[in-house]
Amino acid sequence: METPFGAGLANILVVLPARLAVIGQPERRRLLSLSVTEKRLWLAMAGQDLRKELDSLLLQLLRDLEELEAKRVALNTRVEEGWLLLAKARYVMGTKSVGPLQYPSCMEPRVFVRASENQDTMQTFRLVRADAQTPEEVEPREAALRRRKGPNKSPEPELSAAPQDPLNWFGILVSHSLRQAQASFQDALQLAADIASLQIHIDWCQNQSQGLREKLRQLDSGAA
Amino acid sequence: MAGRGKLIAVIGDEDTVTGFLLGGIGELNKNRHPNFLVVEKDTTINEIEDTFRQLLNRDDIGIVLINQYIAEMVRHALDAHQRSIPAVLEIPSKDHPYDAAKDSILRRAKGMFTAEDLR
Repeated sequence: METPFGAGLANILVVLPARLAVIGQPERRRLLSLSVTEKRLWLAMAGQDLRKELDSLLLQLLRDLEELEAKRVALNTRVEEGWLLLAKARYVMGTKSVGPLQYPSCMEPRVFVRASENQDTMQTFRLVRADAQTPEEVEPREAALRRRKGPNKSPEPELSAAPQDPLNWFGILVSHSLRQAQASFQDALQLAADIASLQIHIDWCQNQSQGLREKLRQLDSGAA
Repeated sequence: MAGRGKLIAVIGDEDTVTGFLLGGIGELNKNRHPNFLVVEKDTTINEIEDTFRQLLNRDDIGIVLINQYIAEMVRHALDAHQRSIPAVLEIPSKDHPYDAAKDSILRRAKGMFTAEDLR
């Protein structure tokens, strides 16, 4: 194929299989039977579709980055607030009374994150609290048992006690600042879960857009 | 306990760890390594790196919170971490405010757009 037309045709036929890799058999047969002009047109339209997809992906990425920044600022503010309140609590309760010396030898977490996958196999995090379910589950069961077995028999506790509030590590009567510090850090944890989800989404968008750009490059070099 | 969700780990200075443990994320028992590390003046970088890698390899941890100045010490381990879970979040500390230019995630996003790509 010495003529420019022939060279162009060879290029299209090289790129076409790559594009055809994602298309089913009937469509593939139809495309291979198209004329050269029709093939060029088809490639141009495929390129346009990819560009539109890339555009919307990049816009989504920029929106995510904006949201990430806003949530970061909020997280940093909450955490700094928390430190200030811890310092206030130390001022009231004693310098060494709020710190690692008070950590117990056994801790059970009260807060978890649940990762849920959506259709694009992307993970988002949701904050869940351990003691969110226990009150509703325990009461009806206990009441039902009491009715069945009579007032003399006490129902066996079927659910373990909810994890201890970390506030209790620091004493019975703790400074109000310490409670407020706890609230600040709890807010910070919720924001952290949101930021982690956004980070994963941004990573995913980046990978997708890199893949799309690679495909576009192939299409453009083939159609040139 | 499979349905309860994943833990949040924290590596930070005393105040950061105390604060987040107050929030209720701490796990400490005989069976497993704790999900937190208090970094003091005499904590070695090796210890921090070992703990960090250990936390990243655990499959019951969803998020790792780490002070940014400590993240700088183990930046190579952080940059090498490509999986989405556990997610690593850099947070400021009292003496070192948050610097977006150092954040691994944002650096990756910034490096995405080269002059060639925008032509």
